[in-house]
Amino acid sequence: MQSPIDSEHGPEASVIYEDLIATHRIHGSLYTDPAVFADEMKRIFLDGWVFVGHESEIPEIGDWVTRQLGLEPVIMVRDEHGRVQVLANRCAHRGTMLCWQARGGGRRAFQCTYHGWVYSLDGKLRSLPGRSGFDGEISRISLDRPNQVDRYQGFVFANQNGGAGPLEGHLGAGGMALIDRAVELSPTGELAINGGWIGQRIDSNWKMWPESDNDGYHLAVVHASLQKAVPGTQYEAALFSPELDNTSQARDHGMGHVELELRTGYDAELAWLGTTREKVAGYCDALENARGAEAAKRILWDGPPHALIFPNLFLGEMNLAIIQPLSPGVTAHHHTPLLLGGVDAALNRRILRQSEGGMGPASFLLADDAVVAERMQRGFEAGHQAGHVWTDMTRGRHRERQDIHGKVSHVSDETINRGFWSHYRSVMTERA
Amino acid sequence: MSGIINPVSAKEWRDIRAFIYLEARLADESEYGAWEALLTDDVHYWVPYGKANYEPDSRISFINDNRHRLATRIRQLQTGHRHAQTPASSMRRMITNLELLEQSESGYVVAGNFVLYEHAIQATHNVRVWAGRVTYGLRRTDDGLRMSRKVVELVNSTEALPTLAFLI
Repeated sequence: MQSPIDSEHGPEASVIYEDLIATHRIHGSLYTDPAVFADEMKRIFLDGWVFVGHESEIPEIGDWVTRQLGLEPVIMVRDEHGRVQVLANRCAHRGTMLCWQARGGGRRAFQCTYHGWVYSLDGKLRSLPGRSGFDGEISRISLDRPNQVDRYQGFVFANQNGGAGPLEGHLGAGGMALIDRAVELSPTGELAINGGWIGQRIDSNWKMWPESDNDGYHLAVVHASLQKAVPGTQYEAALFSPELDNTSQARDHGMGHVELELRTGYDAELAWLGTTREKVAGYCDALENARGAEAAKRILWDGPPHALIFPNLFLGEMNLAIIQPLSPGVTAHHHTPLLLGGVDAALNRRILRQSEGGMGPASFLLADDAVVAERMQRGFEAGHQAGHVWTDMTRGRHRERQDIHGKVSHVSDETINRGFWSHYRSVMTERA
Repeated sequence: MSGIINPVSAKEWRDIRAFIYLEARLADESEYGAWEALLTDDVHYWVPYGKANYEPDSRISFINDNRHRLATRIRQLQTGHRHAQTPASSMRRMITNLELLEQSESGYVVAGNFVLYEHAIQATHNVRVWAGRVTYGLRRTDDGLRMSRKVVELVNSTEALPTLAFLI
């Protein structure tokens, strides 16, 4: 992994973000400059709220997953009391990584492989070999942990440095409503994030993914091959219809949370699942029984959100995805199917198959997005050397409007990009 | 898996190897139509996460195609707009260590190791190395051998992988 400090700028040089981000354009160096990446790792990923995982990933005591918050490796584990803990994945003695696989279960403790220090699942040092060689202070040691960890609807977030205020403030009404829309798809209001994660490594900057995952302008070009190979997908009306017929919307909910609102563009119930009431009658009945006919009708029409929760959680319809920066020019995009509690196995199998089709290195969609992002990265890298690459994000400025939820415009408008970058700019300047 | 299999005749083994090498060459050269003609109607094409030791309905895989989805995959590649393979990667794969694992009236299960070099010409222009174990289900038909199963266990499939839009 490339160190963000190995920069031609040196660690002291500071980037003037006001000069690089305007409302109508941003500078290409924001995708390539190692000094920018280093600033982001601190101001966004250490100082701000970051998505860690969903608590249904670790249902049993001793279940754990490893994640990276910015560049900081952590373990999310269910402790002896059933609480979700987020701990630094690093022994407090000499920094050795404690877990080096993606996930596991049945842990009763974490033992360091270097000198054998043993931590309980809440991060407290429980035992160590040769205790008489240490003074009494040693028994107070714990693993590092984020200063704030909080949950909303089972979605676990961490703010490593603290000071970012309550999670509700970061999510805002818009972010919470987006998460609610994912959860309410389950008749029992439960997600079952246990379908495994697949990772895609992309040679592009991480910020292309909040943008690309939610870009409503590229579909007919980047995904032309899917449209040709599979006419009549769930996206036909909501994303592929001609510009002026398309009633899907782009939304900026504030705080960098942006959404492709497809529900206003669907032409049928359950379009998002590519099916009909008759074919998933059991699911529809369960939803009606749980929430009443009227609410069920709305949920079956609206379907899941297609949105970014700033900075790293993509609510990708029937997927959850984590956008993981690795270096200025390398990103991992991990996804898992949004499996639902309280539904029959056949419905979750359908969701699983849909997830495999849409995301991942071999998928029908993201494989093409990845190559295009890699082409953008090459373009920005060349332009960064010359210092003159600006990217335009004016599309739809003249028809964007404000409603009670925030800014909204035509699905293909760059309301998404402007929403992301305006929050980015405030984070990168106000906390500097 | 390690049990003793009745040896096949020299001719059967030659036919099996010839089929596997043909399948590899057509995949290397992105000859999608000719490759597709090697498949049975009930083919299963699977690139699991980790080892192929789980039920594919229980968690996601990189690729888990039945005949229908594999036909879609090939149709997408043939549109000329599959950016992830436009132009197609230049590829060469070596298939070695072939062993016969099972045989029956209807066909054979054969497994081997492979290394594949891919020139990812679409954007980054780097050479990617893919390696793993490949297991073939081969069926005897009136038209010769056909492939009813291909399982590719990549050595690094628990990591985030680069774009994998070609036929592996």
